Amino acid sequence: MAEAAQRVTAPRLFAGRIGRPAFLLALPPLIVLAAFGAAPLLLIVVWSFWTFDPATYWIKPDFTLVNYLGALSPDRTPVLARTAGLALLTAAISTAIAVPAASALCLFARSRLRALLLALFTIPFFTSGLVRAFAWRLVLGRDGFINQALLALGLIHAPLEWLLFSDFAVVVGMVAADLPFAIVPIVLAYAGIEASVLRASEDLGAGFWTTFRRVVLPLILPGVVSGFLFVFVVAIGASSEVQLLGGAGVSSISIMINDVMRVVNFPLAFAIATLVVVMLFLALLFAQRLLGLSKLLSELGS
Amino acid sequence: MSEAAAIGGRTQGAGPLFWAVTWLGLAIIYAPALYLLLASLNPGEQLGLVSPSAFSLVWYEALLHDRRLLAALQESAWIGGATALVAAPLGLMAAMSYRQMRRWRDAFLLAVLLAMFIPGSIEGLGLSALLKATSIKSSWLTVVAGHLVWTLPFTFTVSLVGLAAIKPVTIAAARDLGAGPFRAFVDVTLPLMRNSLIASLLFAFLLSLNEFARAYYLVGRQNTLPLHMFGAMNSGASPTIYAFSGLVLIVSFAIIGGLLMRRAAAGR
Amino acid sequence: MDNPFRWRGSEIPAMLNRRQMLQTAALGLGAAALGAGGTRAAGRDIAFWASGTLDITDAGWKQFAADAGVNVAFTDNGNDPGPVVAKLAAGNANDIYDVAGLQGGSEKELAKRGLIAPWDLSKIPNYAEVWSWAKAIPYLTYEGKTYAIPTVVNADSIIVLEDKLGKDVDSYGVVFDPKLKGKTAMEDAWINSAVFAAMYLKNSENAKIEEPGNLKPDELGLVMEFLIKKKKDGQFRTFWSGWEQGVQLVANQEVWAMTGWEPIVYTARARGVKCYYAKPKEGYEGWGNNTVLLKGAVDRGLSDTAHQFANGLLDGYYGCKLGALRGYCVPTDRNVAYAEAHKTLADPTKTRELAEHVKAKFSGKVYWQNTRPDNFQLYESWWQKLRNA
Repeated sequence: MAEAAQRVTAPRLFAGRIGRPAFLLALPPLIVLAAFGAAPLLLIVVWSFWTFDPATYWIKPDFTLVNYLGALSPDRTPVLARTAGLALLTAAISTAIAVPAASALCLFARSRLRALLLALFTIPFFTSGLVRAFAWRLVLGRDGFINQALLALGLIHAPLEWLLFSDFAVVVGMVAADLPFAIVPIVLAYAGIEASVLRASEDLGAGFWTTFRRVVLPLILPGVVSGFLFVFVVAIGASSEVQLLGGAGVSSISIMINDVMRVVNFPLAFAIATLVVVMLFLALLFAQRLLGLSKLLSELGS
Repeated sequence: MSEAAAIGGRTQGAGPLFWAVTWLGLAIIYAPALYLLLASLNPGEQLGLVSPSAFSLVWYEALLHDRRLLAALQESAWIGGATALVAAPLGLMAAMSYRQMRRWRDAFLLAVLLAMFIPGSIEGLGLSALLKATSIKSSWLTVVAGHLVWTLPFTFTVSLVGLAAIKPVTIAAARDLGAGPFRAFVDVTLPLMRNSLIASLLFAFLLSLNEFARAYYLVGRQNTLPLHMFGAMNSGASPTIYAFSGLVLIVSFAIIGGLLMRRAAAGR
Repeated sequence: MDNPFRWRGSEIPAMLNRRQMLQTAALGLGAAALGAGGTRAAGRDIAFWASGTLDITDAGWKQFAADAGVNVAFTDNGNDPGPVVAKLAAGNANDIYDVAGLQGGSEKELAKRGLIAPWDLSKIPNYAEVWSWAKAIPYLTYEGKTYAIPTVVNADSIIVLEDKLGKDVDSYGVVFDPKLKGKTAMEDAWINSAVFAAMYLKNSENAKIEEPGNLKPDELGLVMEFLIKKKKDGQFRTFWSGWEQGVQLVANQEVWAMTGWEPIVYTARARGVKCYYAKPKEGYEGWGNNTVLLKGAVDRGLSDTAHQFANGLLDGYYGCKLGALRGYCVPTDRNVAYAEAHKTLADPTKTRELAEHVKAKFSGKVYWQNTRPDNFQLYESWWQKLRNA
């Protein structure tokens, strides 16, 4: 079936020796990433081994691990763990919403309705994310829209305090901000599914759910995985939703780095950032080795 | 391309369930946006809802005269547009070369994806320090440089997904029919990638439009829109910022409505 | 047999493509047409990079230019001294801006690193009329030279909702009162909140604290442990950061009392909320937002223009306009004089009232804020502990 077709190796888009053209094509993106991404990162890593110089309030060349000790201290690591956990939760919830939503759009909707709904999903993102996050305070607050509605309907007798300034509010705010990043890749992946494949499955006697589980899901997996990754990345760097909706002094990685830079302890900030990058690199490596991330992203039906 | 067909009949309950989740998703996304739209019609200064009889367009009028917000919007539009126009093709190139690679495949993937994990303020500060050392002046171009690093992994991944959906037999067929590699790309691959290219452009533009941490350190004298919003929230916002959100919604709905009506009038 | 599953491929029609183009084009053209640059009069230009609360709007700066002969391009620096210092130290701020304004305390480090240049007071005649106690703030000078001009000074305390707590709140204890659990807030900034807590503990609970604005390590531990316990007990609804957040908490009655900036009261009142600024018996927290001369401006030959600008800030119009817009006071009597002479541009009665009000606050118990207390890095690690609690 579809799987057999997928096992054909990726088509050679250019004639000539294998490898050389691929590298030529890879050069421009690599150059951009190297110049604007790797070079600053390298600078940061080098600086993370320097020390804070109280005489100048800046940094002086050195080689010490004291900043990493600080970054790994029991005051800092919970923030890393918490932010990563929150990001994973946001990604999981977004994916749980995105898969059915994208499936409804692609399987049950005519092309015009699908385009309309996709447009609807993306329109709010042309407005300011910060202002949208702030607006959640007015929707979820003690005197906010939801509490007022629930009170008016007689469903509650006192406003729900936990709607705002809680983990719940942060997750809601982040899911609201990141959902399209989860939906669009899945819709793109649906392009690879042909009606004939699904008809064949139905001809073999499979009901909808069986077909969905055994034929559709494996084929849209690249979209699902990319969507999850996108939301995770955006969520782990979040600061506005956390600060606006999280409650008394809740922190995230970005907030902590900012706090540390506020007291000009730049080497510590750089050490924390390096640690975060290393941590996420290891997570990526893990995903690659154990789960075959690259195959998940680039081949249907894996 | 897949044939178009509408699903009907036996979905074993999946139809209502999936649609319910879709509406839930839309509700979550639109709750703050619609609130802002309604609240922007409140002539008072404090953000809040007001009864329809008191609706007023006073803040929309003020928005048209808010020079600073409009200048920031223009800056962000330039930056977002440039970022999208560069990041999308670069992402496609990276994805295409990735699929050709054998030995360096894993390393390449990790290297490209790693770029999105660098914390924004750190990357902005680091790049800004490098630019200072090389005497490059800050301007919207330097912001684009920072945003390229942020958006390239996204456009790369989107292109990967898009390429995965293309049947290799399609390309092989084109080649069998005598198309050279370049023609096969332009006439066959590119059209099939149209949707993922649109998605790449869109993602890069939206990511850049809402990006704040890198822009803070890389921007020239003219603030970007998120920086303007951040400043306004910190030191006293005129409700024009809410009118701005409302206006984007209204204009978008109007455009979609117009396109829909034109389609309906022209017949399917 | 009819086909129960008829699947649709994912053909996204070109209409989506068009929508994006139209939208971006419309926004871009609209913005370009309406917002294209600002007209710059020929003359001297200064790029002023300061807290947004020091802004007097484009119309205000136009009048300022007419009076002082300097065109001002104002950019908001986000009000957070952290990124501001970072952008000066490692970033491009010195290339882009000429004069900066920020909360006092970091002047020494900026001077040490040569990022700011000393002011030549002989070129700022209006400096003589700045209130003497404002001139005497210690961190304004470094090695005998004046690096910072006090532009705005104020004394902070608590914003209180009148309907909920009555008119007589007079102690910071209201923010820590267990009966008000979940109904109070503080600012998400150790620079202010630690000072307030220290003031309360020193004066109302007789803790051994010498200078609330500059806590020693064990004093800091005492204060922060107190705040950590309060947070764990659920005392605070949230911590706020920035003007709109503060006003929103008060206007929507999410909190009944919170430490904060005075203009929040004025704004909230203007928006219909009955609230007032308490006069706590423990005293006020004094702070100054000061103007510094960036080295880059000197290198670009703008030193004289910058001095003219600084002189203009102290000349009177700026103080009147800022007072009217925000309720912030520039520490000089020239504001009142200007208002009397230009009754169409400023209200002399209100200006005088504001000046007297600020002076009265400072004649009582005031503890100064300092963005760089001696143990400032220790403050941050304690604040991190509070965040984790």
